[in-house]
Amino acid sequence: MNKPADKSPAEPVASIALLLHADDNVATALQALVGGQTVQLQGADGRDHAVLLREPIGLCHKFALCEIAQGDMVRKYGEAIGLATKVVHAGEHVHIHNLRSSRAT
Amino acid sequence: MPALTFQGFVRQHGKAGVRNHLLVMSIAGLTGPAAHRVAQALPGSKLVCMPYGGGLIGADQAQHMRALAGFGLNANVGAVLLIGSDLPKIGTLAQAIAASGKPVAAICLDDCGHDILTLSDRAIRAGARLHKDLSRQRRLPVPLAELFVGLECGRSDPSSGMVANPLIGALTDSLITHGASAVFGETLEWLGAEHLLARRAATPAVGEALVQAVLRREQLAANQGVDLLGNNPGPTNIAAGLSTIEEKSLGAIAKSGSAAIDGLLAYARAPATAGLYAMDAPAYSPESLSGFVAAGAQMLLFSTGVGNSYVSLLAPTIKLSANPVATQTLGEQLDFDASAVFRGAQPMDAAAGELLELLIDVASGTLTWGEVLGEGDEVVSRMGEAL
Repeated sequence: MNKPADKSPAEPVASIALLLHADDNVATALQALVGGQTVQLQGADGRDHAVLLREPIGLCHKFALCEIAQGDMVRKYGEAIGLATKVVHAGEHVHIHNLRSSRAT
Repeated sequence: MPALTFQGFVRQHGKAGVRNHLLVMSIAGLTGPAAHRVAQALPGSKLVCMPYGGGLIGADQAQHMRALAGFGLNANVGAVLLIGSDLPKIGTLAQAIAASGKPVAAICLDDCGHDILTLSDRAIRAGARLHKDLSRQRRLPVPLAELFVGLECGRSDPSSGMVANPLIGALTDSLITHGASAVFGETLEWLGAEHLLARRAATPAVGEALVQAVLRREQLAANQGVDLLGNNPGPTNIAAGLSTIEEKSLGAIAKSGSAAIDGLLAYARAPATAGLYAMDAPAYSPESLSGFVAAGAQMLLFSTGVGNSYVSLLAPTIKLSANPVATQTLGEQLDFDASAVFRGAQPMDAAAGELLELLIDVASGTLTWGEVLGEGDEVVSRMGEAL
C-alpha cells in the first residue's frame, strides 16, 4: 500500500468532524467522539459552528447541528438524505432511529 | 499534457490488455466439474464456470450470451478455451470471440462421444497449446486512452462517500481528459442523486434514461414490498454510519467525477465510443463487476469503507479505503490508503495523482492484493425464471 503523507501545509488543520455543505443540518464525526464535548466546526461557507454533543458519536456517524423538526429534511452534501421521524436536537446522533428515506416506500 | 502510457498486450483488434490470461470458460452446468479439472491441469489459467444458461429465455438469454462473449472478448484475455455440452451454443460463442482475431478452442461434449474424460483430455491438450503460445507475447507501451475502467464501491461507510469515492471521481476526470473511458453502475445507488447525474447527461435523452432506470429499480423494490433499509443500505453500511439509500447514493455517485455522461449501457453491453458511461445493473459487487468486465473494462477501481475482499477474476481490481481503521487492519486487502485525505493531512488532488500512478503500475503488470490472493470470480446477472 502507498504510504500516505502525514501532513500538508496547504491543507487546513485536521478537524474531528466535518460539515460538507453550507446547507447541511448534520455533520460527520471523523473519529469516535464522546458525549458532553463541544465540537467546533467550520462550514463550507466559512461560518463557525459550536455543537455540544448530547451522546457519543461513532466514527463516520452523523450528529445534528441544530434542531430538526419531525418531518423536516435532513441534509448532507447539500442534498436531502431523508426525513426526521421525530424531533432531533442539536448534538444528537442522527441515524436510522430518527431518520428515514423518503423514497422506495 | 504529457501523453501517459502503460505497458500492455497489444491485440489484433480493439484495445490492449493489461493482462494476458488464458480463459477457461465452461458454458454449461453439465461441464462445470470437468472444467475445474481442466483448469487445475493448466496452472495460471483463469476459470469461469456458468452453472446455468440452457433454459434462459428472451432478454435474459440475450444478456447471458452477451456476457459470456464479453468475457472472451475482454482485452485482458489472450486466448479462450470454451468447454460446453452442445454444439449450437458453443459454436455461436466461439465464432463471436474468434471474430476479434483471438485464438479460441471449443471442446464440446457432443463431439467427445459423450465421454467427459475424453472432453477433459482434449481440453487440457488444447488449453496447453494456447497457453504456450500466449507466453510468447511481450508488453509494449500503450496510450492511457486505451484503458476502460470500471468504478465500484462495496461495504461502504460514510468515509467512502466523503473521500474514497470523490478520489476515484478525481481520477475518473483525469482518465476522461486523457481520452480513456470509464463506467459506473449499481443503478439503485443513484436513487436520491439521479437529478445530479441527469444534469451531467450529454443529451436530454441520456438524462431521461438515467432517471427512468432508477425509478424502475425503485418500483421493483416497492412492488415486492422490499424496505430498502437493511437491504441497501445493508446491515454493514448501517453499522458503519450510513442511514438511508439517498445518503449512500450521494456518496456513491462521486466515483463518476464531473465529466459528461455519454450514455446508459445495458448490462454487459460494450460502449461504441470512448467516454464516461453509466450501466443499468444490480448493485451487488460480483454481478456488477462482471457487467463491467463483459463490457470490456480491463481495470476496476473499487472503494470500500470497512473492507471488501471481492475482486474481478479477469480485470485487476484496485481496492482503496479512507477509513482510518480499515487502512490499519487490512494491509493485505487494500491496494491504496486514502486515510490521510480523511484526516485532512493530504489534499485530494495529490492523492488522485498517486492513485493514477498506481493505476498505471497495475496496468503494466504489478499485481493487486486480490490477484495475489486469488479472490476473483466472474458471475452473470439474471433477470428471471428459466424453462
